[in-house]
Amino acid sequence: MLPATWSRLSHRALSCRGQRTLSLFSSSGPSDWTKVVSDAEKIVGYPTSFMSLRCLLSDEFSNVAMHVRKLVGTRHPLLNTARGFVYDSKNNLQMRGLIVLLLSKAAGPSHAASDLLGQDMVSGIYPSQRNLAEITELIHTAFLVHRGIVNLNEWTDSDGPLKDMQFGNKMAVLSGDFLLANACTGLAQLDNTKVVELISSAIGDLVEGIYHENSNNTEENSLTDGVNVATWEDQTFLSHGALLAKSCQGAMELAKHDKECQRLAYKYGRHISLGHKLNSDLQPFVKSSIGEPVSFSLSTAPVVFHRQIVGRERWNQQLQEVKTQRNQLDYSKLLAAVKSEKGVSSAVDLCCYHGNKALEAIQAFPSSEARSALENIASAITKF
Amino acid sequence: CWIPHYTNKDLQSLFDDIRKELFVTKEELKSLCDYYFDGKGKAIRPIIVILMARALNIHSNRAGDLLPGQRALAMISEMIHTASLVHDDVIDGSDKRRGKRTINDMWGERKAILAGDLILSAASVLLARIGNNAVVKVMSQVIEDLVRGEFMQLGSKENENERFKHYLEKTFKKTASLIANSCKAVSILVTSDPEVHEIAYQYGKNVGIAFQLVDDVLDFTSGASHLGKPTAADLKLGLATGPVLFACQQFPELHAMIIRRFSSKGDVDRAWQYVLQSDGVQQTNYLAQRYCQEAIRQINRLRPSAERDALIRLTEMVLTRDK
Repeated sequence: MLPATWSRLSHRALSCRGQRTLSLFSSSGPSDWTKVVSDAEKIVGYPTSFMSLRCLLSDEFSNVAMHVRKLVGTRHPLLNTARGFVYDSKNNLQMRGLIVLLLSKAAGPSHAASDLLGQDMVSGIYPSQRNLAEITELIHTAFLVHRGIVNLNEWTDSDGPLKDMQFGNKMAVLSGDFLLANACTGLAQLDNTKVVELISSAIGDLVEGIYHENSNNTEENSLTDGVNVATWEDQTFLSHGALLAKSCQGAMELAKHDKECQRLAYKYGRHISLGHKLNSDLQPFVKSSIGEPVSFSLSTAPVVFHRQIVGRERWNQQLQEVKTQRNQLDYSKLLAAVKSEKGVSSAVDLCCYHGNKALEAIQAFPSSEARSALENIASAITKF
Repeated sequence: CWIPHYTNKDLQSLFDDIRKELFVTKEELKSLCDYYFDGKGKAIRPIIVILMARALNIHSNRAGDLLPGQRALAMISEMIHTASLVHDDVIDGSDKRRGKRTINDMWGERKAILAGDLILSAASVLLARIGNNAVVKVMSQVIEDLVRGEFMQLGSKENENERFKHYLEKTFKKTASLIANSCKAVSILVTSDPEVHEIAYQYGKNVGIAFQLVDDVLDFTSGASHLGKPTAADLKLGLATGPVLFACQQFPELHAMIIRRFSSKGDVDRAWQYVLQSDGVQQTNYLAQRYCQEAIRQINRLRPSAERDALIRLTEMVLTRDK
């Protein structure tokens, strides 16, 4: 879907993702990737479901579905988010949940007194760990939905009727809140206040990360000092990594594994997330896209690296050089400019660094099918 | 004033402490989150929670002093309430609250939603730190009820008989659940006696419903400047509250207006006229009175204390308040 066909508002709302797909992993070799995932899913016993059955059967969900249908034909971003879930099943992988499940299995049974847990493992995973995996996906989805809210004071006629945007917003707020509420009650059922605290703090991290994301994603901001690589990593971790890292740690805590185990799980989650984001950011720059329309966000890693390498003045110059007659950026020309310097290779190096760090973390776990699957995931990230 | 001395002291530092919990690095986000914790709100929820906690502590043979978890719950109740208000203002498109511009009016809808999410997450962290699983469960139920209550407002019941039941259920979820469950939560921290938990819960539930019923009345009877937000607000949002539902009995014309959510030109004004001409207001007030009586009946089952008396006073004030 070309950015030009979206309304300005939707584009602003979603451009922080830089791409259309909602998947955690972009398609670097689709057939290999699908295999990695389906092998991994077999290991954990069944494919991770889209949303808990309870959610799907609820009145609220059918209420929302009915209302969201009214958005068809409008330009509210929520429609795209919803469409992504329903039709994009190839790309709609719930990787976060899958990783939590794999890690749970890789870490093995608890060494705590068995009566402490009182749960039976299924396919080597405790029910509480499965629930945590699902909760993680609920939270992730909630924020995808909340990210699609548009600012009404930026509305103009070209965005379509105002009441469509207002209605879309209402649905987005409510659906996101509904998902978060389910996550909260799910967390409460885990009977582990440490995990509740951990995951609740991850929600706070997500908010902070998204807040930064929004501020960084304006052209004006990139003309100032803006974000350098170190702050990019910190902010990206907040918006893309904290949830998975803390869920991984939480899964260990649920089985009462020791601090070191929790630390390693956290480490894996952190590096996998950052590696993935880098891989995703790099896609427009490493794919041969002759004749394809190009689009990317100015806050993606290769651009941030590039800006830091060439310096603010030269960057401003380059931005001016690629502007069209209508004062819009010609992304193909900007792509070429970025590719001509070392921004792309620096981002690739950083991606490999994180992939390796993730491997390092997971290799400390005992050898198993689940561990191998997690190693494959880490390796897949560093492939371009 | 009428609130016992120690409770007043508790309240003074409460908002400072809430702001400390909203730990955020970005300045602008921080100021959004702090925006409503300026101590200017009624703080009725923390007041009830603190009074209830002390009354329960005395009832259970302890000194009246607040346990740390109980104080945290007072903060949590206000934080959850505020987070839901912030989101409600986006949903309703409101531009004013408590006499000042709403967060969405000043900073836009996107940031407002994020601020609400952050306040909620801070409340959850604080809740988890109390370290009590039962308390966490009770309070997360509130979060679910708040959202379900909001969803209930999306649809209106065709059947008149169901309408009132729907209205009371929505009122419970949106307003009373928070107070009822906060009271129950503080009781869990001081005793394992389920009868005492039930007293606390029933007090909170009944006073909460009464509070909302009176709120709904004030929407019709109060002038705009008094409340800090415009009146007939509910009608303008398409919502049929107590006074309107009662007025239906005398003015059947209201049925059609309710079903179309007062969306036709002139509906809001006409509906308002009908309500003021009917006994809808009186009936709603009478209903609120009955809930208050039940609340007082429940709280009287606790041992006497200054705090218990204050809760009774508070319940009576719910009926007589004019804002």
